[in-house]
Amino acid sequence: MLREEEQLAKAVVKLNAKLLGIVFGMLLGIGMFLATNFLVLKGGENVGQHLVLLSQFFPGYSVTFLGSLVGFAYAFAVGLVIGSVLGAVYNKVARA
Amino acid sequence: MKVRLGRAALKELMTEEESQDQLPSALLLAFAPMHRTAMGAAFGVVLGGLLFLMTMALVVKGGYPVGPTLSLLGHFFFGYTVTFFGAFVGLLWGLGVGFLLGWGFAVVRNLIVWSWLVLIRSRAEMDEYGDFLDHM
Repeated sequence: MLREEEQLAKAVVKLNAKLLGIVFGMLLGIGMFLATNFLVLKGGENVGQHLVLLSQFFPGYSVTFLGSLVGFAYAFAVGLVIGSVLGAVYNKVARA
Repeated sequence: MKVRLGRAALKELMTEEESQDQLPSALLLAFAPMHRTAMGAAFGVVLGGLLFLMTMALVVKGGYPVGPTLSLLGHFFFGYTVTFFGAFVGLLWGLGVGFLLGWGFAVVRNLIVWSWLVLIRSRAEMDEYGDFLDHM
């Protein structure tokens, strides 16, 4: 018979890779959308001169409202992959 | 928010295979610790892979200068450059740094859950024995 503490210590959290992917995707996507639109609304001479460097990896992305939608799609896709890989690798190693 | 589960509710949470001595799977799911090594490995793979892919994308794309902004990581990751060889150096650095981040995240998460568990238990004990003197 295992005591409660021992049972808890032996148990390991399992992650839902798909759900983690969607959560990461939404977080990154919304973050990118908000960051881009913040700079667009702020305005200025050279709008988002650093954030626009992401277009090197995300073709079509720009610091404009339309670009924020494109950026959301890209960031969501990247977050989806990151979360899914994170969950899959974690579960694989934790099970071993 | 205070959550109280009576014995009847706890028994409902238990599946048939679980004996009376075992904790309900729902409780294990809520309070089970996170696997530190697994979380470190997962973060390492993601960070290393990301850095590798980003570097390779810029190298393949070409141009002059290649990745002047990403190469600034070389200040922290010694030996890292935006080149084919540098992508592998970045992969190793990403694996190492990612592992530390993931491992640290799991340690902090487990510490918080453990503290929460201790708090819940001490509150439950206080509720149980709080009126002890009233019965003397």
